[in-house]
Amino acid sequence: MSAVITSIVSIGHQDSFGKENIWETLQPLGTQSEVVAPDYKTYISPASLRRFSPVLRMALTAAQVCQNETVLPFDAISVGTSLGCLKDTERFLQTFITATGDTLSPTAFIQSTHNTIAGAISMALGNHSYNMTHTQNSLSFETALIDGLLCIQEGKKSVLVGAADEAIEFLELLKPQVIQSAFPFTSGATFLSLQPEGNGTKKAVMDCSVHFNNTNTEEAIATFLKNNQVDSDTIELVLFAGEIPRTIGAKQVNYEQYTGLYYSSAAFACHLATDYALSKEKYILIVNHQVNGKLGLTLIR
Amino acid sequence: MEIFVTGIGAISCIGNNVQEHFDTLIAERSGIKKGSHPHSERFLVGEVPLTNEELIDRFQLKINGSRTGLLGCVAAKEAFSGHLLREDIRTGVISGTSVGGMDVSEIQYRSYMNNGTHDISKYKEHSSGNSSEEIALELGIDGFVNTISTACSSAANAIMMGARMIRSGALDRVIVGGTDALSEFTISGFRSLMIFDEEWCRPFDESRKGLNLGEGAGFIVIESAASIEKSGSTSLARLKGWSNASDAYHQTASSPDGYGATLSISEAMKVANLKPEDIDYINAHGTATPNNDLSESKAIMQVFGEQIPPFSSTKAFTGHTLAAAGGLEAVFSVLAIQHGYLFANLNHRNAIEETKLVPVTRTTKVETIRNVLSNSFGFGGNNSTIILGEL
Repeated sequence: MSAVITSIVSIGHQDSFGKENIWETLQPLGTQSEVVAPDYKTYISPASLRRFSPVLRMALTAAQVCQNETVLPFDAISVGTSLGCLKDTERFLQTFITATGDTLSPTAFIQSTHNTIAGAISMALGNHSYNMTHTQNSLSFETALIDGLLCIQEGKKSVLVGAADEAIEFLELLKPQVIQSAFPFTSGATFLSLQPEGNGTKKAVMDCSVHFNNTNTEEAIATFLKNNQVDSDTIELVLFAGEIPRTIGAKQVNYEQYTGLYYSSAAFACHLATDYALSKEKYILIVNHQVNGKLGLTLIR
Repeated sequence: MEIFVTGIGAISCIGNNVQEHFDTLIAERSGIKKGSHPHSERFLVGEVPLTNEELIDRFQLKINGSRTGLLGCVAAKEAFSGHLLREDIRTGVISGTSVGGMDVSEIQYRSYMNNGTHDISKYKEHSSGNSSEEIALELGIDGFVNTISTACSSAANAIMMGARMIRSGALDRVIVGGTDALSEFTISGFRSLMIFDEEWCRPFDESRKGLNLGEGAGFIVIESAASIEKSGSTSLARLKGWSNASDAYHQTASSPDGYGATLSISEAMKVANLKPEDIDYINAHGTATPNNDLSESKAIMQVFGEQIPPFSSTKAFTGHTLAAAGGLEAVFSVLAIQHGYLFANLNHRNAIEETKLVPVTRTTKVETIRNVLSNSFGFGGNNSTIILGEL
């Protein structure tokens, strides 16, 4: 299962949108950072823009730019989101909890479902193809990516894979009891175009795998590399989140210092990998261990 | 590659297991009645008449999570009963849900809004992904876990994802389906859309006004032939076709011509390599909203032309169980094939004038049902079709 990345777009707390190489503007985040938003008006109609929450704006714009940069219309769309459209979810909770009359405004409810993101993309692009939404906590991007790779394996020619999540203030209340992380909650969307091998000018996703009861990261990585016939000495860069063995890869970079905390940020690591100046015959490994026991591995060539 | 169904499990307002569902479908007895909770008592709904504690107790669940997780565990456990975990059979869980643990979060959030206090630890049940991880934990499965959340087509898409994972060789056996508990969030949401019928829902009837909501879970176990050789499981049916297509028309409404539905039905038949005359029964999505039933009817007419197979919606039995619907209806489809029954479309009097289509109004025994086509359509224009067939 492999595919080339022909286009990749990120919007989040880094100044990454429209950049040739996102490493050049990369800054570790402070505690009070905000989304660096592009001019959404260029990509989203004024009527939609008024209704759309941040996660929809980010995702739709990133997806739209991916389609603009991809000659073929997408014949599959696969989106991962860990917590979905949180802002509208909270807004609708507030709507019905405080409601007094018999009528409720439906807008927040309509936009609260997880697949509002992928659905809005299909409508904006006039796209009638396969349209999927995966949600698997910290492995939401990886499960969407696995679906995208599966689509390519099945013969699809142009697949949009993306991940999007948004922060709301309420989330910080969950620390440290429910969520343990040193990073502040943030928002981010990364979308990429996948095509079959042979079309690429950028990089290729070689494989992606998820592990739900991981007790030995080192062993899981060794098996993953072996399955892909990749020698561990050829891993030039490891992009990681959470605790990982320090022995793997020539260089290790913690991507959460750049993304902040959202549970589909491995997609941004994928963008970092795509823009990285990699030596010949070398590989990048993304190790997502944001949550203990859950492990996502993505191999980039 | 052929994919076989080797287990089925169901819980909804018409039964706590598959047998009870079958008996109730034969008896033509709806499970929809006046709700029993403060947020549901104003409506006709299909509630599972067991509290969370009763579910845990009766089905001896190890998990104590959201109601969505518990219902999922009950149905998945039934589907997987008799199956053994083995190192050499790579087993996964792929489940659909629309709101996951919202039934837990909304209680805490209301308390937080009203008096500033809430039990923070309860929010760990919130995420949709948790319900599937709980099912995997309940069954002792530590392989691939995946949650699909595409509103009312979630379970059908989970079944499709499972089939594709098996066909690609990534998994040998998958428990697939969906689960959703009734929550105040969902009831308020559909109320805000004004698509409830205050009476019993009437799918495909000219007088239909809207849907009744329900809750429940439906799961099937699917396996490759190579997996069955090792597991020795008995096949009940085959999963032959699947498809998902996007209507790309409106966030909540279906296109008037049923374009996305037409695409998903015809593509699923292509995957199954079947012609229209090979389909002996359609278990329709048939939510009884004016919009869905007309749009779905038009899609069926476009694909099947003059020769429309017997069709019915079982939503008047169970209510619309949202993300679980495609799972429950996959179970009903397997039952239809196993026992040769077309299930009743309850409460039907007059055909929709524009289409003149008349569904199966009584549960009917027939000689044989070779293939059943089951539709599930969700918000966001998400249209899915699966096809189950005889062995």
